[in-house]
Amino acid sequence: MNGMEVKAKLVEGTAILYPGAYLNQLRGEVIEHRCQALLDQGVRRLVINFAETELINSIGISILLGVIETVNAANGTLLISNLNESNRELFEMLGLLSHLCIEETEERALAKFHSCA
Amino acid sequence: MIKLEMRKMLHTIAALTDLGNEINSSKDFDEVIRTSLHTCLGTLAIPKGAIARYSAKPRQLKIVAAKGLAGVVGQKIELGVDEVAKIAARTRPIKLTAERNGLAHFVRRNQEMFNKLRAHLAVPMIVQGELIGVIYLSEKLSGEAFSDDDLTIINTIARHIGLAFYNQRLIVSLKRRAEENRRLYKEMRQVYHDVVRAFGSAIDLKDAYTKGHSDRVARYSEAIAREMGLSGEELENIGVAGYLHDIGKITVDRAIINNPRPLTEREFKELNKHAVTGYEILANIRHPWQEIAYMTKCHHEKVDGTGYPQGLRGDEIPLGSRIVTLADSFDAMMTDRPYRVRLPLEKALNDVERNTNSQFDARVVTAFCRLLLKELNGASRERIIIPMIGLKFDRAQIVSQLEAIISQFEEISLAV
Repeated sequence: MNGMEVKAKLVEGTAILYPGAYLNQLRGEVIEHRCQALLDQGVRRLVINFAETELINSIGISILLGVIETVNAANGTLLISNLNESNRELFEMLGLLSHLCIEETEERALAKFHSCA
Repeated sequence: MIKLEMRKMLHTIAALTDLGNEINSSKDFDEVIRTSLHTCLGTLAIPKGAIARYSAKPRQLKIVAAKGLAGVVGQKIELGVDEVAKIAARTRPIKLTAERNGLAHFVRRNQEMFNKLRAHLAVPMIVQGELIGVIYLSEKLSGEAFSDDDLTIINTIARHIGLAFYNQRLIVSLKRRAEENRRLYKEMRQVYHDVVRAFGSAIDLKDAYTKGHSDRVARYSEAIAREMGLSGEELENIGVAGYLHDIGKITVDRAIINNPRPLTEREFKELNKHAVTGYEILANIRHPWQEIAYMTKCHHEKVDGTGYPQGLRGDEIPLGSRIVTLADSFDAMMTDRPYRVRLPLEKALNDVERNTNSQFDARVVTAFCRLLLKELNGASRERIIIPMIGLKFDRAQIVSQLEAIISQFEEISLAV
């Protein structure tokens, strides 16, 4: 671990993670480890809230791909919420949208979690 | 909304910038390569990939980093000579699934490994025509085929990562050479000191009474110099001068050196030439430390200006020479000579005291006395002088005598 903190909370069995302003290697690795730890604890529903995220670099994307695979391999479900326009375009360009369930807000992600899963 | 093409370009430029920063960072190289692989994969949303480093002996590609693939790091892919040449000649990524990729045999032979790697593309890393390694990439997450633009981006990234490997190899090679040079230098210095010691012994063999004299003078000189706060090369320098101070005697007739009777004026003149002769011998040698020859020349100078060969005074005489002068004289007093038996320690110290500020430098004398006192008191772990002074002396009397000399000359030497 690299000492970087990533905010997270647990709401009725669903873990919500907040990558912060810049999803790079440091934050990406923390999210990766937190997700793995949550899965190990039995949590199977995860939301990554990108509300504060202004920038995602290529390393962040690569780590995010790893998180998607890890969650899928553990029969979990990952939802993405609060993507800004720029990040949505990036995800679209990279073909990520078809592999992710995306909700406008965290509340909607929590509410619609089951239907998406 | 930014156009898709512009968005792609910005993402790629940002990725290349990140890659450049990563490659030029001071992080552990394995970590740099791991992160570089992430950059490569994240640029085009490729979920799995690995980087293999090429080694020529044996000819193989070794997986050094992987992402999304378990248990592949450390695996090896053997290569034939022609296969290395074929891969090194490629300027574009190789589609491993393509039937006519020119490497059908290589792909078939390693199909199991490529399956493990989920390898769809093999991207050679070539620097100056030399195969450095290969990046293996799975298909894109989207499942779309790699476009020509994608292949160009991947190629550019591979060139960057290849350069990182190439530069790291150069750095490792330079470090090895520097280490080898350090080792050789250390060995050379050891040889140098061995030769110096051998010279010292050869000089002493000329005189039946002075066996071990040069060795003792060297050790006393170093110990006194250390007591005076000198260190490093300066200290070594003085030690070597101690070994070689009498080297000029090799040209003096053995009969004069071993003469048990008082020397005639002519014999004295002949003997006294050894200081200059020694200088002439040593000045022609490329010493690591240039002062040694001059220190040898000055080891019979006296601080009051009555010494030889130049009649120098006080600080005109190199400090090393002033130290060697005392070490030389003390050892002469403490050993039998053709013309007299060794002096008792008390008498030798009296002579040192009497000749301080005429023959000997007061600072050197006080350092010498402090050193001997420490050895007598057990305050010094090293015993340099004590082994030569024997046991026939009154310890309390000598301690008192040393303390008196120190208190008498310390103020003067401090004032100077």
